[in-house]
Amino acid sequence: MMADDRVLLALVAIFVPLSLVSIGGGPAVLAEMQHQAVVVQRWMTQREFADLFAISRAAPGPGALLVPLIGWHVAGWLGAIVASLAFFVPSSLLVYGAAHLWNRWRGNAWHSAVEAAFAPIAVGMVAAGALAILQSANSGALAWATAFGVAACRIWWRALHPLALLGLGAAVFTLAQAIG
Amino acid sequence: MTNEIDEDEARRPPHGDDASAAVKALAGVPRTVSLLELFLLFSQLGLSSFGGGVSAWIRRSFVERRGWFTETQFAAALALARIMPGANVINLAILIGQRARGIPGAIVAVLGLVVGPTLGVIALAVLYRRFAGAEILHSMLEGAAASAVGLMVAMTVDSARAIFRAGKESGHPASTDIAAMGVAVATFICIGLLHWPTAPTVLCLAAISMGLAFLAGARSPEQGDDGG
Repeated sequence: MMADDRVLLALVAIFVPLSLVSIGGGPAVLAEMQHQAVVVQRWMTQREFADLFAISRAAPGPGALLVPLIGWHVAGWLGAIVASLAFFVPSSLLVYGAAHLWNRWRGNAWHSAVEAAFAPIAVGMVAAGALAILQSANSGALAWATAFGVAACRIWWRALHPLALLGLGAAVFTLAQAIG
Repeated sequence: MTNEIDEDEARRPPHGDDASAAVKALAGVPRTVSLLELFLLFSQLGLSSFGGGVSAWIRRSFVERRGWFTETQFAAALALARIMPGANVINLAILIGQRARGIPGAIVAVLGLVVGPTLGVIALAVLYRRFAGAEILHSMLEGAAASAVGLMVAMTVDSARAIFRAGKESGHPASTDIAAMGVAVATFICIGLLHWPTAPTVLCLAAISMGLAFLAGARSPEQGDDGG
């Protein structure tokens, strides 16, 4: 797993453009990442890509950690760092610029109006994101039941720490696997 | 564009204190939050969020527990984070970090969110390779991921409730709440069920949402100036 310059350059060439078009986050460019990593560059098999995806989704942290993971797979630690910078920096600069403008106008009447208009949209988007993850999970009914059970616990039993709920989900799935 | 940013960078130092005071008055981000504190906070959030749902953790930390942001401000930041390119939670960290401490704040927040979890995900990949086919590990991770979706669902319900309550407290008429509810449901249908492209859909819905709020507000005697 020697980090060779060509591989690092390829990582940059692939992830910088993806960063700039990744509206909606990592999932929006997942198909293209897979195409590049598996078909174009032949860095890994389809199966390996699926495993890396599963790991990135299950590990703590942002789902976009698939990117450093791909970098690590092809070029070790240096690959992880290069892929991360290539994917996170370009979009971050754009967002920082937007945030800067957004905060500069804070206090204006229309700023509050825009903020209030976006709030219910965010609620709808989070719900849509939850649905997308549930649909892509291959565990089917058990995943749905766990998700809604956890949601109910979270809403009506505030004192319960979210980590306890994640542990509960892990226990339910482990048990289900042991039985089934 | 570059001009504007340069100009603003030049203006920043003398106005730094005023700006942070304004931020504090409007949203309650403490002026004294240190970069180390931001880094540790975001590290903790990143490392706690097994199976995704990081934004639910961020909301819990900054809206529910610390009150740095009102529900409406947070939701608007989240919407902005989601329509810009880049990973949603990273964008959200930039928005919060920038609000708290400017450029260093944004950098530190993103590093906090990414560095620890990256080490974790690579450690997991090493484990996964070593114990290839360890079904129990796989089940546990799947279960945690399903629970994380549950946290997102709960977050949807909490945010919706809080936004509508804020609308009520600021004296908006009930029709504003009904319009907001309609917009939330329409967003879910367009993006979640119909899979329309996010950015154009959201921008159209935002225009509709503003129009509805304006129509509803025009009929009320007094218009609330801030959602929060």
